[in-house]
Amino acid sequence: MTDWTCRQVILDLLGEYEDGTMAAPERADFERHIEMCPPCVRFLTSYRATGKMLKSLKPEEIPSDLAQSVLAFVRARARKP
Amino acid sequence: MKPDGVAAQAEPSDLDLVRGIKSGDEDAFEQMVQRYHARVYSLSYGVLRNAEDAEEATQDSFLTLYRKIGTFDESKKFFSWFYRVALNQAYSRARRRKPGTAVSIDDFLPKFASDGHIASPELTDWTTSVEDGVIARELAQKAGDFIADLPPAYRDVIWMYDVEEMATADIAETLEISIPALKSRLHRARLYVRQRLSEVSRGPAQAEAR
Repeated sequence: MTDWTCRQVILDLLGEYEDGTMAAPERADFERHIEMCPPCVRFLTSYRATGKMLKSLKPEEIPSDLAQSVLAFVRARARKP
Repeated sequence: MKPDGVAAQAEPSDLDLVRGIKSGDEDAFEQMVQRYHARVYSLSYGVLRNAEDAEEATQDSFLTLYRKIGTFDESKKFFSWFYRVALNQAYSRARRRKPGTAVSIDDFLPKFASDGHIASPELTDWTTSVEDGVIARELAQKAGDFIADLPPAYRDVIWMYDVEEMATADIAETLEISIPALKSRLHRARLYVRQRLSEVSRGPAQAEAR
């Protein structure tokens, strides 16, 4: 059993915890720290909210004529082999 | 285009289309444009944050594809090669527009006291405001701007993984980095974006001491 500090939890372990690749014993130590540390709980909440927010960043609309404009652009400039 | 009277066939693979383009088959090039124009546009938009620039970068990327397809090594994954072509086009355009503005990521990582505790714990949960759609959109827009300020090594990874939701292995192959390096960059980039969002959400007076 290891007593992690907030620095270790946030800088060194959080990424691994979130992607699910952390080994079970470390995971238990990580979760024990989180349960006892309200600042880390708030940090984890905002870290997850950030990741969720980023998924909304894809451009909402692709220009409807983009494929045609690309083809016209290339055909106007490309030399036939 | 499928000939009349012929039953629908399986979609050609990327490699089929690559070989078609190399042999001068215009239909193969058109199919490649149809297949990837949206993804290239989305990637370009991520770097450039502007619809007109993203469209022009997309056009340039396909022109490069058309002209340079002969240099593609067919033992590699096509889209990883093409994604790098598109990234280079977008960066080149971004540098012309706004040269040398990347931030230092270390300036925006969380700070800790000497005993390892968070230096300035957040007193309130700013993420509750994200439940408001208008605020969420404003913050997402800011997040995009913050990502655009990152050095490319971090910007590419967080955009491809968190925004484009590409597979880890594909990102690693495209950027020619190891999976551990990818994960490290992704985590640091997320910490940076979280920190900057936290600061704008709470206002500068309450921002964590840096």
